[in-house]
Amino acid sequence: MSEAGEGRVATVPAPSARRRKGLGPRQLLLAIGLAMVAVLGVVMIFGPQLAPYSPSATSLDALAPPSAQHWLGTDLIGRDVLSRLIVGGRTTLVITVAAVGLALAAGLVLGLWSGFVGGLTDQIVMRGLDIVFAFPVFLLAITVVAALGPTIPNLIMTIAIVYTPILARVVRGPVLSVKRWDHVEAARSVGVSEFWIMVRHVLPLVISPILVETSLTLANTIFTVTALSFLGLGPPPPDPNWGGMLAEARQFMELAPWTVIAPGAAIVFASLTFIMLANGLRDRLDVGGRQ
Amino acid sequence: MTAYVLRRLAQLVPVLFIASIGIFAMIYAVPGGPVGIMLGENANQAEIDALVHDLGLDRPIAIQYFDWLGSAVTGDFGVSLHSREPVIKLIGERLPATLQLAAVATLIAVLLGIPVALASALHPGSWLDRMLSGWSALALGVPTFWLGILLILLFAVELRWLPSASRYVPLWEDPLEALRHLIMPAATLGVYVSGVLARFLRASLVSQLGADYVRTARSKGLSRGRIVRVHVMRNALLPFITVIGLMMATFIGGAVVTEAVFTYPGLGRMLIQAISTRDYPLIQGCIIVMLVIYVAINLTVDVLYAYVDPRIEYS
Repeated sequence: MSEAGEGRVATVPAPSARRRKGLGPRQLLLAIGLAMVAVLGVVMIFGPQLAPYSPSATSLDALAPPSAQHWLGTDLIGRDVLSRLIVGGRTTLVITVAAVGLALAAGLVLGLWSGFVGGLTDQIVMRGLDIVFAFPVFLLAITVVAALGPTIPNLIMTIAIVYTPILARVVRGPVLSVKRWDHVEAARSVGVSEFWIMVRHVLPLVISPILVETSLTLANTIFTVTALSFLGLGPPPPDPNWGGMLAEARQFMELAPWTVIAPGAAIVFASLTFIMLANGLRDRLDVGGRQ
Repeated sequence: MTAYVLRRLAQLVPVLFIASIGIFAMIYAVPGGPVGIMLGENANQAEIDALVHDLGLDRPIAIQYFDWLGSAVTGDFGVSLHSREPVIKLIGERLPATLQLAAVATLIAVLLGIPVALASALHPGSWLDRMLSGWSALALGVPTFWLGILLILLFAVELRWLPSASRYVPLWEDPLEALRHLIMPAATLGVYVSGVLARFLRASLVSQLGADYVRTARSKGLSRGRIVRVHVMRNALLPFITVIGLMMATFIGGAVVTEAVFTYPGLGRMLIQAISTRDYPLIQGCIIVMLVIYVAINLTVDVLYAYVDPRIEYS
């Protein structure tokens, strides 16, 4: 067989023994991951409706420990921690998902285009991305936010810029081999346009590693977003977000430890969600792991 | 070899050039520009014009840039708007604190990461492997700032063994006091980095353990311990050098956040304070110094790798 044929054997997922056995422990991982994604999705969509109190409503009951009225206690000026956690989660998650969504869109376009067209275009796009890639992610994010100011759209843009080169590389890799396969040549010979070949005949075959990498990027991004907010570079107060809640609570944690436990646990929950989703998807889709 | 080093240096030129333009331009992206920051919102036009002329802001932007770049290359980043002291002097005061934190954190990361990777690679699929890979997932899944806060809650608030805000005490002046202030921030940063380290090293070890030379060594009667120590570790650590650059990026972000959590007086905390007081010369100086350290380490690592492993093509 030709070289193209060998490429196909290596990349097309073969039905594994594990998958035929039905719901193994790894499948369970994906199921749990999806269930956790659903929880985050509900918080993202219905946040303010779910919160028992207004996230900015103060009360005289300041720094109260968890109780029947306030499940997670109250903060320094008597605001309900649970309500702030839910509403703040929405802000944090919206920034995360929007940023990764933008980076994914840009990475797909750049990776597909440069990998498929190849030649000089590929060289220029990849060298350009290499320059962005040469900076430490966090330092780049701090620099851009410091210059543009910490607003939600700026945060989303910044994080999208930072993660675009990573996703573009993940897209480009498999495109380089898939574009040499016979079915692409066959489509070209019957006169299908290059654009349509790219979208219809190349993209579907490279989608699995992209899905896995995207969910790992989501896990990383939730750290970047909350760390920036923790450093005071997040969405401006008084609207809550997880990183900002931690930074506020850090100052009086001796008096009210529950105020630092809750937002931190929420961040861990969200990052574990995306990591489990990535591991579950990797197994389900038979993608060779990064690990 | 020399050609390879020169080529690697040449690759840095566009990176540093674009970075310098970005860092230079950030002060102009701020509403009101540099003059707005220095004079505040209530300045009258005459004051603004005078300052614009004094600072040379009425000159062409390209000349301003090269002027700034020329000074920056010699280490002159201007004067802090806040304290009116030279930026390079402020950085010089804070840098030792960050380097000390980084050194102890690296030590912790290596002491934790290598045994974890070894133990789980030698017994793949065992309960030990599962426990350890769970641990490294936790090290990566728990944000540094939260781990730091939890440590403070336990050791400073509950047990009262350690201070909740860390000062910088040079290790050579008072080692015990220095460690008291350093151990929590260094552990926070070290645990995080050890998670990355263990994951890469484990993968590298597993692939080496399946190699032919291991079977050959077994068949000539070498003990397992000796094979791992003498043959496998050497080969597994080699590709691992390339990951150091990747880890450095994690390290810088982690250090900035860790310093903020422990109010540790390092470079990262100064950067964040400079951002909150909009002290742009200081922000620019901090970012340049961090970037140069990062780039220098990456370059050293690449060259070192090519030197250690002669199979690497210098292209």
